[in-house]
Amino acid sequence: MSRKRFIISIVAASLLAIGTAACSVGDSEEVTRTVTVSDTTAGGTSSGRTVTIIASVPPTDHGWLGAISKDAKAAADQHDDVDFELLQAADADSQAQQIEQAIAQKPDVLVVLPQDGAALTPVAQKAERAGIPVVNIDRLFTAPDAATATVLGDNYQIGVLAANYIGDQLKCNGNVVEIQGLAGISVTTDRTKGFTDTLKKKCPGGGVRIVASQPGDFNPDKGLTVMENILQAQSDIDAVYTHDDDMAQGVVQAIRNANRDDDMFLTGVGGSQDAMKQIEEGGLYRATFLYNPNMAGTAVNMARLIALGQGFSELVPPEVPRQVVVPAAVVTQDNVSEYEKYAFN
Amino acid sequence: MTPAQAAEPDQGGPEFSDRLKALRLQEYGLAAVVVLLFIAGSILKPETFPTWDNVRNMLTQASVIGVLAIGMTFVIATAGIDLSVGSMVAAAGVFGGILIGTDGTSSLVFILGAIAFATLLGVVNATAVAYARIVPFIATLAMFSIARGVALLLNDKLPVSLLDLNGGSFGDPRPFSLLWFGNGRIFGIPASVYVFVAITIAGWIVLNRTRYGRYVVAVGGNREAARIAGVPVRRIIFSVYVLSGLLAGVATVLLCARLGSASPVSGNLYELDAIGAVVIGGTSLAGGRATIVGTFLGVLTFALIFSLMTQLNLSTEVQQVTKGLIVLGAVLLQRSESRY
Amino acid sequence: MTKLLEIHNLVKEFPGVKALQGVDLDVLEAEVHCLLGANGAGKSTLIKCVSGALEPTSGEILLEGEPLPPGDPAGTLKRGVATIYQELDLVADLSVAESIFLAHEPRRWPLLDLDKMYRESEALLARLGHDAIPVRAKVGRLRPAAQQIVSIARALSGDVRLLIMDEPSAILDEGEIKTLFEVVRRLTAEGVGVVYISHRLDEIRRIGDRVTVLADGRTTATGLPATTPTDELVEFMVGRKVDQLYPERPVSTDRVLLEVRDARRLPAVRGVSLKVHAGEIVGLGGLVGSGRTELLRLIYGLDQPEGGEFLVEGKPLRPNRPGHAIRRGLGLAPEDRKSQALVLDWSETKNVTIADLSRFSRVLLDVRKERASAHEQLRSLNTVPDDPDRVVRLLSGGNQQKVVLARWLLHECRVLLLDEPTRGVDVATKAEIYRIVSDLATSGLGVLVVSSELEELVGICTRILVMRDGEIVAEVAGNVATEHELLRHAVAPTDAPELTEEVV
Repeated sequence: MSRKRFIISIVAASLLAIGTAACSVGDSEEVTRTVTVSDTTAGGTSSGRTVTIIASVPPTDHGWLGAISKDAKAAADQHDDVDFELLQAADADSQAQQIEQAIAQKPDVLVVLPQDGAALTPVAQKAERAGIPVVNIDRLFTAPDAATATVLGDNYQIGVLAANYIGDQLKCNGNVVEIQGLAGISVTTDRTKGFTDTLKKKCPGGGVRIVASQPGDFNPDKGLTVMENILQAQSDIDAVYTHDDDMAQGVVQAIRNANRDDDMFLTGVGGSQDAMKQIEEGGLYRATFLYNPNMAGTAVNMARLIALGQGFSELVPPEVPRQVVVPAAVVTQDNVSEYEKYAFN
Repeated sequence: MTPAQAAEPDQGGPEFSDRLKALRLQEYGLAAVVVLLFIAGSILKPETFPTWDNVRNMLTQASVIGVLAIGMTFVIATAGIDLSVGSMVAAAGVFGGILIGTDGTSSLVFILGAIAFATLLGVVNATAVAYARIVPFIATLAMFSIARGVALLLNDKLPVSLLDLNGGSFGDPRPFSLLWFGNGRIFGIPASVYVFVAITIAGWIVLNRTRYGRYVVAVGGNREAARIAGVPVRRIIFSVYVLSGLLAGVATVLLCARLGSASPVSGNLYELDAIGAVVIGGTSLAGGRATIVGTFLGVLTFALIFSLMTQLNLSTEVQQVTKGLIVLGAVLLQRSESRY
Repeated sequence: MTKLLEIHNLVKEFPGVKALQGVDLDVLEAEVHCLLGANGAGKSTLIKCVSGALEPTSGEILLEGEPLPPGDPAGTLKRGVATIYQELDLVADLSVAESIFLAHEPRRWPLLDLDKMYRESEALLARLGHDAIPVRAKVGRLRPAAQQIVSIARALSGDVRLLIMDEPSAILDEGEIKTLFEVVRRLTAEGVGVVYISHRLDEIRRIGDRVTVLADGRTTATGLPATTPTDELVEFMVGRKVDQLYPERPVSTDRVLLEVRDARRLPAVRGVSLKVHAGEIVGLGGLVGSGRTELLRLIYGLDQPEGGEFLVEGKPLRPNRPGHAIRRGLGLAPEDRKSQALVLDWSETKNVTIADLSRFSRVLLDVRKERASAHEQLRSLNTVPDDPDRVVRLLSGGNQQKVVLARWLLHECRVLLLDEPTRGVDVATKAEIYRIVSDLATSGLGVLVVSSELEELVGICTRILVMRDGEIVAEVAGNVATEHELLRHAVAPTDAPELTEEVV
């Protein structure tokens, strides 16, 4: 009896392990490998040696993150001399472990979008000290020596743009609700700070009041329940500033369920297809601020340059800049047709 | 291995309140907590908290976790646990969504499909626990991961919009269409609340007034004794995980109805809320003692806490500490187990 | 001889209850002083006061003339008073040596001194005459008898002057009891005083020097010689004359209720055939390990037999299906009622009705009818208290057993399988249970009872079958059987049972 149990436990444990591994490594079938071609080839650049790039991202259970992975891979595919591997983690701890393993593989560069910048700073510093340059995307590490280069959207600027837009629409008089993303990460704090700082400047009389600010965790059903409660507490809402298009879908639903979609308007962040469609139709969803996942492509390209010891030819001398900030743009009904091609799913 | 406590029990002592009476006290204690929270909310937000609208809102929000918690009560009563209900909610929703296809409008197909899929996942859990004899924690932990993966895989990580499932009338969903379960009302009370309350009542009747319910608690109370008394232990254990899956399917319907879409990332950590509600309600994790009333009150407690803290616009950190303290307080209000 | 322990006018009150109302007792060095009393008489409370687990309300307890620190178990232990409880306080997963030295392991700071631990454990076991027990074996794998020796060794690992043993023979069979008595004698030879609590009057005669009887928290008799006749002792215990411990022996009819043909499940049961008729009580005697409990489990369907047939009233029983066995009229009262028969957190009612719920429900349970029926059964068995809502955990052993019997009476079973039905039950309740079983047999049931108390089998059975090594080796008529004869059949010609064989 105990023997049978033993065998079943081993089988079960193995299945569990395989299952978990399969889930966390995820897109392993999408790994791209390119063989070095010593001659130059048409299209794409080739330098005669292979550059190994390992990228580490959080689980792509969110449209924006999914687009990040796609764009990173697409950028890598453009180059024949890049050997690219994408690792997906389940949470901050396992991402740290994955990066440690990646360090052991001694790639030329690491590209990291950390689930939590502060939590993964130590492992990034470790990589740097081991001689592997790190390119940081989006969610910032908290120490300067944790990355050689950083590519980020301008989260502060998004807050600024949003405050300007909402301030104009409300003519500096009204109540605003803020639905944040994941509490505690740099993305969130910057988007909030940009917003609050600008409101003070734009509407110095305090005409625009932030009556509620709650995190929605970038998750539509959390956005739904949080907004439902806020709608209960606040009878007078004129605008809703959300930090994320996907999450905003839940917020929108809550407002519609309460039949208050005529009373207010909403803005998102990111540039998802759903958001653009709704902006085009007009109504509750009025604007979004582009936060282009293309920055992943930029990061991969920069990583390659760093590995090759090259730089941006426009700079004198040619170098890879320490920080590249991707500008945001306001997308409203007027200009949505221009930006549709950048929309992610 | 206790020293001979048993040898001296029959002193006829005065306050040997038996477990039945102790359970009542626990339920009263929790009811008091619910009332206290409501009063606190009414004092802190007098214009918005003690309104019918807000009560409706809280009950609606409680419905999803509530349905899950009723199922969880049965599972925990057998000394088992189901860590996968949140992931099952997501997977079942996405399954229902792709079942109806991109232009589908049949609410019935979605509802039946989601419930059937969730039940199927429950059957997998049940088989693993009852027949492969895998410890419930491990078996359902595996399903927690697998179901989440399935939810993401089924539609390539994308949510499925269900806004068309309104029975043909936009903005005012037809009764018993999917969206109607989200905001439809009967006599002013939301449809989802009816579902939650109906399931709670049914759960109470089954647990306390049927042979099956008695067998469930017997299995948790003393599996060997239950077997010797003729209880079909393995079948009972199998059934509670299937039940948990089925109710997860119902919860999916309620959630997707309100959300207007089936999202693969929904249901995150719902199992913890369900388990928490069950436990502070008085059901014992060691099995053998279960109360549906307690679970119902536990669900209300969590709903009240969430609603109150969001409306007070407390920051996340404060929310987390406060929630923890309230839960601790609710548990201390209950009689503690004095045996080893 | 000097007085080792003196207790003067000990009183212990709990809120609303006077557990001890003035107990006087003294124990001499090198004496075995037996403590007798019904459940609820105050024995456990007394022991806990002496060991320091409880603090007395008033009165004094002196060890070697000096008062013991009240309510201080560690301090009392240091003074040399060790207690071995009925439910051994051992941890199954620890090794023998670890258990012996739990909480006072020898150290070479900061690490444990394992060598010393093993050496001293072996020495202690040798002192008890049991150096065969391997000190590295896990306690959980030892026989109960061996576990008890470990418990005693644990008590000795300090410097013991007084050893208190609470019902030590409850889990032992005859051979093991003999061994235990040898150990006790060795201890007294070293000058240790022993307080020996037991329900078994015959043991008191065999091992005791003097006896004290407790009833209702008072000493009704103390310092009696152990040779005092049983009737007198029982009278002191119960406060009245208990006419006859054993009722009239029931007479068998010709109707066969249960038939077992060549039951087999290796290694415990190797081909057993027997019949139980309506009206008779058939006893199954034998040593621990002879396969008696395993046979009952096969009949009842808890285990899958490898061979054999089981017939109830001529019709075959589907093996390994307890539900089927119950439906056909079998009822089992297992050996360990707390872990195998009862849901301790449940009320008396629920424990009584669990085997026959269909009686009270078509779709929904009729809770009132259930409670009334259960109450009736409990009352008819004189269960104390017969409160149908009382949680079973709070009942004494004897009354818990009555709840189990009530279950089968409610179900109107035809054949009762009893496994050690009076284990941990006080004398007065034992008499009641014997009477109940005898009445049941006379009213037409068949009873198959397994017991290690040979005196009991001789007292109540119509016929006694003796098992040894998985087979029936003898059948003796109840009215002519003697314990001696039964023991002779039960014991293998060679030696005492190995204490270190794994628990079956």
